[in-house]
Amino acid sequence: MTAVPLWVLRPGGSRAAGWLRTVDHKEIGVLYIGMGAAFFILGGLESLVIRAQLATPEAHLVDPELYDQLFTVHGVTMILLAVVPLLVGFANYLVPLMIGAPDVAYPRLNALSFWLSLVGGIVLYFSWIAGGAPDAGWFSYPPLAGRSFAPSPGVDYYILGLAVNGAGTIIGAINLTATILLMRAPGLRVSRLPLFVWMVLVTSILILGAYPALSAALVMLFVDRQLGGHFFDPTASGQPLLWQHLFWFFGHPEVYIMILPVMGMVSEIIPVFSAKPIFGYRFVAASSVAIAFLSFGVWAHHMFAVGLSAFETFFFAASSMLIAVPTGVKIFNWIATMVGGRIRLATPMLFAIGFIAMFIIGGLTGVSLAVVPLDLETTDTYFVVAHLHYVLFGGTMLGFFAGVYYWFPKMTGRLLSERLGRWHFWTTFVGLNVTFLPMHWVGIQGMARRMWTYAADTGWGPWNFVESLGAALLAVSMLVFAANLVRSIRAGAIAGDDPWDGFTLEWATTSPPPPENFRSLPAVTGRRPLWDAKHPDRRDAA
Amino acid sequence: MRPPAESIGNLAVIVGAIALLIFVAVEGALVYVVWRYRASRTTTPALFEGHTRLEIAWTAIPALTLVVVFALMLGTLGEIGAALEPGMRVRAVGHQWWWEFTYGDVVTANEMHIPVGTAVEVDLLSADVNHSFWVPELGGKIDMIPGQTNHVRLLARRAGVYEGQCAEFCGVEHAWMRIRVVAEPADEFARWLAAQAAPAAAAATDGERVFMANTCVSCHAIRGTPATGRAGPDLTHVGARATIGAGVLPQSVADLREWLADPQRYKPGSLMPRVPLSGADLDAVAAYLAALR
Repeated sequence: MTAVPLWVLRPGGSRAAGWLRTVDHKEIGVLYIGMGAAFFILGGLESLVIRAQLATPEAHLVDPELYDQLFTVHGVTMILLAVVPLLVGFANYLVPLMIGAPDVAYPRLNALSFWLSLVGGIVLYFSWIAGGAPDAGWFSYPPLAGRSFAPSPGVDYYILGLAVNGAGTIIGAINLTATILLMRAPGLRVSRLPLFVWMVLVTSILILGAYPALSAALVMLFVDRQLGGHFFDPTASGQPLLWQHLFWFFGHPEVYIMILPVMGMVSEIIPVFSAKPIFGYRFVAASSVAIAFLSFGVWAHHMFAVGLSAFETFFFAASSMLIAVPTGVKIFNWIATMVGGRIRLATPMLFAIGFIAMFIIGGLTGVSLAVVPLDLETTDTYFVVAHLHYVLFGGTMLGFFAGVYYWFPKMTGRLLSERLGRWHFWTTFVGLNVTFLPMHWVGIQGMARRMWTYAADTGWGPWNFVESLGAALLAVSMLVFAANLVRSIRAGAIAGDDPWDGFTLEWATTSPPPPENFRSLPAVTGRRPLWDAKHPDRRDAA
Repeated sequence: MRPPAESIGNLAVIVGAIALLIFVAVEGALVYVVWRYRASRTTTPALFEGHTRLEIAWTAIPALTLVVVFALMLGTLGEIGAALEPGMRVRAVGHQWWWEFTYGDVVTANEMHIPVGTAVEVDLLSADVNHSFWVPELGGKIDMIPGQTNHVRLLARRAGVYEGQCAEFCGVEHAWMRIRVVAEPADEFARWLAAQAAPAAAAATDGERVFMANTCVSCHAIRGTPATGRAGPDLTHVGARATIGAGVLPQSVADLREWLADPQRYKPGSLMPRVPLSGADLDAVAAYLAALR
């Protein structure tokens, strides 16, 4: 079998025109991944300038105005324009393949959601050349984000960009929900869905609940800024805290939107590379549903310092601790999956194990943030910056890389290099710990987040220097990854249909799959249809 | 009375120990399992796919652990909230990018003095955007939000200087919005407060004349003089404070002169403009301000 580039498979038209008008879920998936990758590079470059500025105390590499724009755009970019599109891209590409469907439920709507997401990102970045980027932080609290204190159009571009991008994400979530509920292959009951598909389903429902709150809040902020409204204006009986409630009602589920699909990837990869079915399938799936419900009741743990009532404080502390339980259940099930297995430490598995190891750290510091007196010391400091990067870089990105190494062969027909992959893994693993571990310490010592510089007499200089060295190492690791992608796409080893001895339906078709996805489907009688087809003597119980 | 920071510190040690225990156990299990079941040691994988009692156990044990943590948290919150009977009250107002502290009629800025061993109730307000009052060694942070008044209680057991920092992003000079809390024995504190309450001594120097003749007076107040501006920090006893510009420079005649010559060089974005003064006038104003003790 030879690798056939995607674009060869489409009849007629030029290559560029083909990409513009495609409604094929695989191509739209690739477009999403391309968008996410491009914004990931931009967000990464922004973070490198931030780390260069903070490497030494009282530095003047950038002025505070530019610094504020950089960290604001870095946050918005990584969360909404990089991580979400990367994950939605994988969901788009893989969900129809994993459920044995020819495409998503609404292919044209799928194209609309991608283009809306991309246009939203472009609108946001257009602000750099149209009077200044937004500079009020990724959660843009009024009154600072109001017109009196942020008169430049940056925040307006933030509002428009996020609203358009959010519309695309909401439409995409409707599409994926419908696809999973309505387009499964015969025999593929919901109780047999691959866990990645389960997590995409839960994530899509989270998006449908959370993003509209953000959209509403953005419209209100726009009314305040441009139409003379007073929703958040304390000088006219408005309530600045209302924004915080609305924003975090979106913002906390958003965290799970960014981690659940990756947990799904890891739940596919660990069983395959342990040559065993997942341990506790029902509990892994059910714990995601529990997380989804709970995630709508924890938002005010971002607001313990605003002066909540005692009842609110206790309620949100308890709910935020509670959500750690289903998260822990997943970790125990992944480890139990490996017990008794035959573990192949290929790159996808290496990254998946790295994901678990780092996510444990982010999870434990997360519980400490639910303990109110500790939160009051650590919130809005570099401790929180460390925590969220352990979750989103140590967690989401390591898990995502696991997914890339695992499914790249399906998408391109070629394997990524294992040798470069190991370099990529170890440089990333060391780099992220060198960058983010010391942040816990400087945060506890008193370094607030979002400071464009800090005094030399604070003693935070040496640790910040170390953090910046770690960031440089992370940049190197991303170059290694890029080199691996570029080399392997052209000259990687030919993968074949099923390079990892996989369990699920996407490995039952060619790599890359034909436009209609499947020429024939194996019968589905269990959770591992391809395993059953390959081992008729050792089929799973139905 | 136990200072809030001590209660929080104790809780941090206990919660930290629990977290460390979980960290070592789970990471240890992960590493062991990967090593024990690596492909080179195993030939045929086992084929089990679940164990309901195990699942219940690893749901229930973390849940119970968290119940314990929650109970510990309630205890600490009770200690912080109830045990402190405030002995005095200070009003703190966050401004872009400095702090205003008011003790009755006495107004000062950026440097807050408190008596050792007395619980101080601080009323937290904002004049513009959200800020957050945080002195790590004295306790947790509480936000200053326009339109509402929040409260935090401080108690210092030992005399000394406690450094703090605005913790909620509040615009371009969020970084240079430092707090100095000076905790001193009750008699020293009383002397400080009495000195602060006095108007500025009449100076009749060139510096005072230049100050009063320029835009300085539209933003700054010096009690006992015609300067009554309220937009910037009260300078009645500015010479007695240890830093300039909410922590951006140390206090000295030379540093004051540097600051007056170009505040934007040290605190770009600060609302204090560069006032065009001659070299001699700068010397005079710096000397005048430094003498306001």
